[in-house]
Amino acid sequence: MAGGQVEKRVKYKSSVKDPGTPGFLRIREGMLLFVPNDPKSDSKLKVLTQNIKSQKNTKEGSNKPPWLNLTNKLGKSHIFEFENYPDMHACRDFITKALAKCEEEPNKSAVSTSSEQLSIKELELRFKLLRENSELQRLHKQFVESKVLTEDEFWATRKKLLGKDSIRKSKQQVGLKSMMVSGIKPSTDGRTNRVTFNLTPEIIFQIFAEKPAVRQAFINYVPSKMTEKDFWTKYFRAEYLYSTKNTAVAAAEAAEDEELAVFLKPDEILARETRQKIRRVDPTLDMEADQGDDYTHLMDHGIQRDGTMDVVEPQNDQFKRSLLQDLNRHAAVVLEGRSIDVESEDTRIVAEALTRVKQVSKADGETTKDANLERLERMSRLAGMEDLQAPQNFPLAPLSIKDPRDYFESQQGNVLNVPRGAKGLKRNVHEAYGLLKESILEIRATGLSDPLIRPEVSFEVFSSLTRTISTAKNIIGKNPRESFLDRLPKSTKDEVLHHWTSIQELLRHFWSSYPITTTYLHTKVMLLQFPNLPIPEFAIYIDS
Amino acid sequence: MIFKIEDVTVYFPYDNIYPEQYEYMVELKRALDAKGHCLLEMPTGTGKTIALLSLITSYRLSRPDSPIKLVYCTRTVHEMEKTLGELKLLHDYQVRHLGTQAKILAIGLSSRKNLCVNTKVLAAENRDSVDAACRKRTASWVRALSTENPNVELCDYFENYEKAADNALLPPGVYTLEDLRAFGKNRGWCPYFLARHMVQFANVIVYSYQYLLDPKVAGIISKELQKESVVVFDEAHNIDNVCIEALSVSVRRVTLEGANRNLNKIRQEIDRFKATDAGRLRAEYNRLVEGLALRGDLSGSDQWLANPALPHDILKEAVPGNIRRAEHFVHVLRRLLQYLGVRLDTENVEKESPVSFVSSLNSQAGIEQKTLKFCYDRLQSLMLTLEITDTDEFLPIQTVCDFATLVGTYARGFSIIIEPYDERMPHIPDPILQLSCHDASLAIKPVFDRFQSVVITSGTLSPIDLYPRLLSFTPVVSRSFKMSMTRDCICPMVLTRGSDQLPVSTKFDMRSDPGVVRNYGKLLVEMVSIVPDGVVCFFVSYSYMDGIIATWNETGILKEIMQQKLVFIETQDVVETTLALDNYRRACDCGRGAVFFSVARGKVAEGIDFDRHYGRLVVMYGVPFQYTLSKILRARLEYLHDTFQIKEGDFLTFDALRQAAQCVGRVIRSKADYGMMIFADKRYSRHDKRSKLPGWILSHLRDAHLNLSTDMAIHIAREFLRKMAQPYDKAGTMGRKTLLTQEDLEKMAETGVQDMAY
Repeated sequence: MAGGQVEKRVKYKSSVKDPGTPGFLRIREGMLLFVPNDPKSDSKLKVLTQNIKSQKNTKEGSNKPPWLNLTNKLGKSHIFEFENYPDMHACRDFITKALAKCEEEPNKSAVSTSSEQLSIKELELRFKLLRENSELQRLHKQFVESKVLTEDEFWATRKKLLGKDSIRKSKQQVGLKSMMVSGIKPSTDGRTNRVTFNLTPEIIFQIFAEKPAVRQAFINYVPSKMTEKDFWTKYFRAEYLYSTKNTAVAAAEAAEDEELAVFLKPDEILARETRQKIRRVDPTLDMEADQGDDYTHLMDHGIQRDGTMDVVEPQNDQFKRSLLQDLNRHAAVVLEGRSIDVESEDTRIVAEALTRVKQVSKADGETTKDANLERLERMSRLAGMEDLQAPQNFPLAPLSIKDPRDYFESQQGNVLNVPRGAKGLKRNVHEAYGLLKESILEIRATGLSDPLIRPEVSFEVFSSLTRTISTAKNIIGKNPRESFLDRLPKSTKDEVLHHWTSIQELLRHFWSSYPITTTYLHTKVMLLQFPNLPIPEFAIYIDS
Repeated sequence: MIFKIEDVTVYFPYDNIYPEQYEYMVELKRALDAKGHCLLEMPTGTGKTIALLSLITSYRLSRPDSPIKLVYCTRTVHEMEKTLGELKLLHDYQVRHLGTQAKILAIGLSSRKNLCVNTKVLAAENRDSVDAACRKRTASWVRALSTENPNVELCDYFENYEKAADNALLPPGVYTLEDLRAFGKNRGWCPYFLARHMVQFANVIVYSYQYLLDPKVAGIISKELQKESVVVFDEAHNIDNVCIEALSVSVRRVTLEGANRNLNKIRQEIDRFKATDAGRLRAEYNRLVEGLALRGDLSGSDQWLANPALPHDILKEAVPGNIRRAEHFVHVLRRLLQYLGVRLDTENVEKESPVSFVSSLNSQAGIEQKTLKFCYDRLQSLMLTLEITDTDEFLPIQTVCDFATLVGTYARGFSIIIEPYDERMPHIPDPILQLSCHDASLAIKPVFDRFQSVVITSGTLSPIDLYPRLLSFTPVVSRSFKMSMTRDCICPMVLTRGSDQLPVSTKFDMRSDPGVVRNYGKLLVEMVSIVPDGVVCFFVSYSYMDGIIATWNETGILKEIMQQKLVFIETQDVVETTLALDNYRRACDCGRGAVFFSVARGKVAEGIDFDRHYGRLVVMYGVPFQYTLSKILRARLEYLHDTFQIKEGDFLTFDALRQAAQCVGRVIRSKADYGMMIFADKRYSRHDKRSKLPGWILSHLRDAHLNLSTDMAIHIAREFLRKMAQPYDKAGTMGRKTLLTQEDLEKMAETGVQDMAY
């Protein structure tokens, strides 16, 4: 066993049923070699240790022969049958040690092997990504070239980008806005009675998705019976009638104008869809089943007017539609998401595509038994109590955030230890600003020193900055268009964002190093703690 | 795990058990041993149902010589499905450990609407028309007719089931409604009649309250259950309301009009029979003379609703002579309708006792009390004789006869209230004559008398001493269990002010104050931005919810909420609400997050769980008091005061708080779960209101959380959520065991230590 090498007489089996090829197994640190007795045999094998994922072996005392089963990272297994158990144990121990060693220095081996194995293609892909994404390039420059992170670490967290299907997958469909369409307010010019509606393809899509009857009417009427403009005028006329809640007028107008009536009548297609969906609903939620069950709801039986059930004006009027229904419908459509992949300005194409999708999904609903089965399975899973039994492991869905910058303002200062109240906050900001000013003055007076700025000062500036960002929302008000960032000059804004992404990058690496099990990780963490970030010059703007 | 409670070996399908579940089983076993009734309150989220099921089935296994039957009553069909789901899990476990001897037959039972598999029948709109469509194909005379006339349409499923006769049995197992339907479809047997037939053989029956409490239904479905049954009412905090509902009937204008039409139809049928088959009417008359109201054994398919009066109040006598003839009976009913019509024409609210109502009916319309009492029986007999199958058409006359029978039978515990319009909408004339029952003990009495053990259990039965009084029974065991906490996984708060320090309340004079509405809105806007996944809001009534949402929509608050979460709302349309709930769950599942607006006392509050990520926060807007000006409520309060010395205010507060507790209590399901509850009304900070909340909520309601403003609540919520995100030791810390293993239980049995650290 000397010299870090073991050699044993074994039989190699590529599968359990394989009778096996007799030969020698030679294990060295870093690799594993099988040489068959018969030189002509093609079952010669070479496995690198770092490619071994796990090993299993038969137990001594069981009737089975001494087998060692190695699984490599591709999921393929190699079985070796030894002559006796001690042989097998010797080998197993050796591989265990080798594996441990291998893990300890993934850096060394990974770098050496991966750079060996890195195909030209992959390198090209990396370059391409860096070229295309200036932000990534900046990060790469900052961390890799300053040796905070190694090349591989940097790319390890971006495996998805490098993945083969990344190009196809990255085209994530954008969901729908959760804003209600009925929220579009017309603009008036103030002098005449004219109102103007601004329709965007987005809004049209939402109207079509939420109101299949309107979609159908569009397909039927435009352009054969009326122009698109007339169509929408009529539609908004109908909406206006709804909003006045004057059902008598609505009824009268509907009687006169049959096209207008289409918009005012209850949506037939919707009702049909509803009937279909209700059959597929989770039985533990199905309140409709109750209605069919409990006999106190026999007409006029039970207590009618004791004030538990309250009265709402009769809803059966066909020209009445409640806000609540609209809200439910809207939320359902948003939840469904954008079901079509048509990016067309042509309204008709959109309408037709939507209709097609609906028909397909309807057909699906009728044929698939899977949905039903899944529903039952889900039910039985939910019947159990989670902490009384062994934990169930659900598959994880990858989180895919399109642009993390959208969440910039959600970062929060640690307000826990800080006394609350606006007063304290204000004082802090000014204090921080004062401190910074002082140190700038000091630098001016004495020149650069080491450290550049005292740690207390930079900490104070940082914490008040984050706090300002998180509270800025409250100060500015909730205008979604205007964010805190937009109030900064462009160069500062870029600086802030870049700084923010680099902190995130570092944090990601920092936390992924836990738990610290090897010395390698330890040095990495130490390195990450003091990344020597340039002190931001933009802090001066915070008091604006 | 398998452990012993005294002489019973309990099979429990999990590896661990909560201490309170164990305690619960011990108490339940005592009640079963004593063959008495019991009242058990245990917080939601402690696995009440599984503890109950596993003890009772294990008890049955340990006494093979006198097997008990379990009748499990739920309030809703979806709860029934949930219970059967848990039972399935338990049954699998028991069969795995004991083999075939542990096999049981458990069925869920519902109406034709939920069990029918005949597509033509199912095409009918509602329950009543499904019933009628079924009867049109299965009634005995229809089937007899079909032997002569092949064009008469029958139901193949029912025919196959009848052909199989006694061989039509369900093999042992646990059957949800879905399973029953699948089985029926597979074998070609009618699942509804099969299930009804299996009621007498099943070891466990799960159905809704009405099947035991409502004499109209119980008289058909549950009359053959043996005394050795354990009856469980789960989620029974509203059981008194179900009881009084079961015996209440009302009559409106449309009812009278419909009933008149029905009588015309009956009249025509009588004439037709006179011309073609006079013998039939004569035979009926003779039967009535002999004192048989109904032909002895009716086949299941001919049965319709049973007598609305309770079994022991039904006279076993011959039908009085003056209504034996069909025409005479029709005349009596006409007079009754006329009298009721006159009474409905009132301009003032009238309230009287059944006794005085009956006597004035006698003097003005010449209908005696005894005649009234037999109205139901006489109508049933007539409808069978006339071979009427479209029962849904004849509901109005049924209602009137039910009313007559009840008013003739009961002299006390009821009152008759006639209102010309609804108090809250005086501009819409809608006269109604209501016979309302005030005494919940009436309907449940036969159940207590008939079965050896009745278990009444729920998460909120506080104050626990009130229920025996309301239902007038003496429990052998009456206990309220606390919840052993691994960590403080619930966080109740009382919010009394908005951020602007203005008080919030749904008190009548404040509820429409724009400041209150805005503060309520702002609270939600802030909360949705910090609470993950699902948030549920309960309002005091539909009309209030309607109004507040409209205002929020106009002021843009709703838009702000929608930026964070999708909004789903309970409406009065059940189908729509169901779909909204389904979508809500989907939104929570996919991480989108959603808010659900719902109504206390509504259908959702009654039976839908918002556990785990489906509800991390519940906001109860206001105190859900009943509408106190309601005449019926007033009458009931009076009765309660006179009979049980229960004070008006006490009852109202008790009722409001049990609804509130019910709403917020649905957020947690197990101790691994967590959730916050916000009671947003300044009145909750008062001791007399708050103290009526169940103990397990009160014990977590810290003094510091009793008088919060919106920003304080946000702060607490943030901290709570952060704390809950930390990993914790499930088995409990610091010597307090909150999760017991089999070894723990064995150790306890050895040392005889019963009390666990709570």
